[in-house]
Amino acid sequence: MCTEVHAPAIEPVVVVSNERVAEGVSRIVLDAPRTAGAVEPGQFVHLRVSRHADFILRRPFSVHRARDGRIEILYQVVGLGTRALEDAVPDDVMDVIGPLGHGWHVPEGAHRALVVAGGLGAAPMGMLVERLAERGIDVTLAQGAPSAGRLLARELFDSLCSRAIVATDDGSAGLCGFVTVLSAEQLERDRPDMVYVCGPEPMQRIVAGQCASAGVPCQVSLERLMGCGIGACLSCVVITHDGLKRACVDGPVFDAADVVWDTGADPEGGR
Amino acid sequence: MSSVDMRVRIGELELRNPVMTASGTFGSGREYADFFDLGRLGAVVTKGVSLEPWTGNPSPRIVETPSGMLNSIGLQNPGVEAFCAGDLAWLAQQDVPVIVNVVGHRADEYATVAERLDGESAVDALEVNISCPNVDAGGMAFGTTCPAAAEVVRSVRAVTDKALIVKLSPNVSDVTEIARAVEAEGADAVSLINTLLGMVIDTRTFRPVLPRGVGGLSGPAVRPVAVRMVWQVAQAIDVPVIGMGGITCPNDAAEFMLAGASAVAVGTANFIDPTTTVGVADGLERFCATRGIERVTDLVGAAWKNQ
Repeated sequence: MCTEVHAPAIEPVVVVSNERVAEGVSRIVLDAPRTAGAVEPGQFVHLRVSRHADFILRRPFSVHRARDGRIEILYQVVGLGTRALEDAVPDDVMDVIGPLGHGWHVPEGAHRALVVAGGLGAAPMGMLVERLAERGIDVTLAQGAPSAGRLLARELFDSLCSRAIVATDDGSAGLCGFVTVLSAEQLERDRPDMVYVCGPEPMQRIVAGQCASAGVPCQVSLERLMGCGIGACLSCVVITHDGLKRACVDGPVFDAADVVWDTGADPEGGR
Repeated sequence: MSSVDMRVRIGELELRNPVMTASGTFGSGREYADFFDLGRLGAVVTKGVSLEPWTGNPSPRIVETPSGMLNSIGLQNPGVEAFCAGDLAWLAQQDVPVIVNVVGHRADEYATVAERLDGESAVDALEVNISCPNVDAGGMAFGTTCPAAAEVVRSVRAVTDKALIVKLSPNVSDVTEIARAVEAEGADAVSLINTLLGMVIDTRTFRPVLPRGVGGLSGPAVRPVAVRMVWQVAQAIDVPVIGMGGITCPNDAAEFMLAGASAVAVGTANFIDPTTTVGVADGLERFCATRGIERVTDLVGAAWKNQ
């Protein structure tokens, strides 16, 4: 597969809409023609939410969907940046650096994919599922959330996946329990060629372990606190069997087999 | 076209303009070359380079603070040999002076790295980092007492004739004493400030956010502290001062030069807008032009020279 790589650029973006799509989760749509035309599934943008607040850093967000010159971001309000983002209204101007990072890899000859999304881990799966469907790959989605009201992007997933199964912590939809129960069952039943995972890191680690046992390749999208987003500051390191990697440029998508999951406190045991 | 003379000198080194990058915020420049031509900068100052590879600190390595951030990267770098073969070889192809930041656990390690870099024609100057707050041995430990600072500078001065800049820590009671001590050992310039020692405690976990507890504070929050220290040091020594600390716009750079800085560096702002450095360089030229200032060096220390 030969994917054209687009160099990142700073692009001013205009807010088109910003609304609640699930409990505690909103979707902001940004007019961003350059980024929307260049972004690949699993890549992210580094968003400068406000120029005048006392928080200075950008926030990294995966691109959920990109179409018609617009990008969609799903976000949960967790701190200063996302609180300010929630206050954005149409016609507000922000800027993004993007597209950034190394996204999902869809291997030639794949027939069946299992996509495992936990909570906001559904965000980078929108573009992925669209890409898999375009390639005629049969997709099973296993999605987890705290409750039915927090399951994201149901319509999109239902329309593009052969099967979309869910688990909730409170049993208000699907299986009462963790999505890792569903991923284990699907690995056994479906024998997918590739597994894609995003969600809380413990969940990613468990699914990665299931895939390793089943002998199925697995990709994970990891989240780290980021500074520059372009590979310079070394804030977002991920410990791999090949040394320290940067989530922003070497990731956020990694081959699960490369990741050293037992993170402990000190990279490589310290010096 | 503006007729402002933007050239400045740091020891034997002439820069096309006074704007450089602050070590550790710009990698070795490769990451930023997607956004602008590095040849528009006064100089690129690289991340810290040590004798052996350093793995740096555990995550999380940063935490945001009001108008700033704490970092605890811990000088992760591949060691001087890998640096020369990789980043330096790339930088040698760029049309910009290269200043390599040098770190070590012991004075002799600094000297060994400096000696290795002295043999590289692509290196225009060395910046001796005796002020990183994020490593247990070396780093800031050398920058907070005069004898230790002097020892490191003496050992590096002995092995190189390249322009020698010493990066000072603000975490001292009198920064001018340290500045005088390193000047006496042959430093061609000093740069300041490195980050201020800080801490953030997570009130949910009752623990510091950063695994090492402390980190280095940078960003606009530190600018007044940095300007004050540049003002003090520039009046205490005869060699040039490179000023930095929270510069985000041309006006901030002018403020440092008025305080006595002969050149300036942009740090944390590179994370916010990767083109900040060139914006500051162009804007500083406009700042001078609109005020009828013919040479950017006319700004240096103007806040106290004409009192």
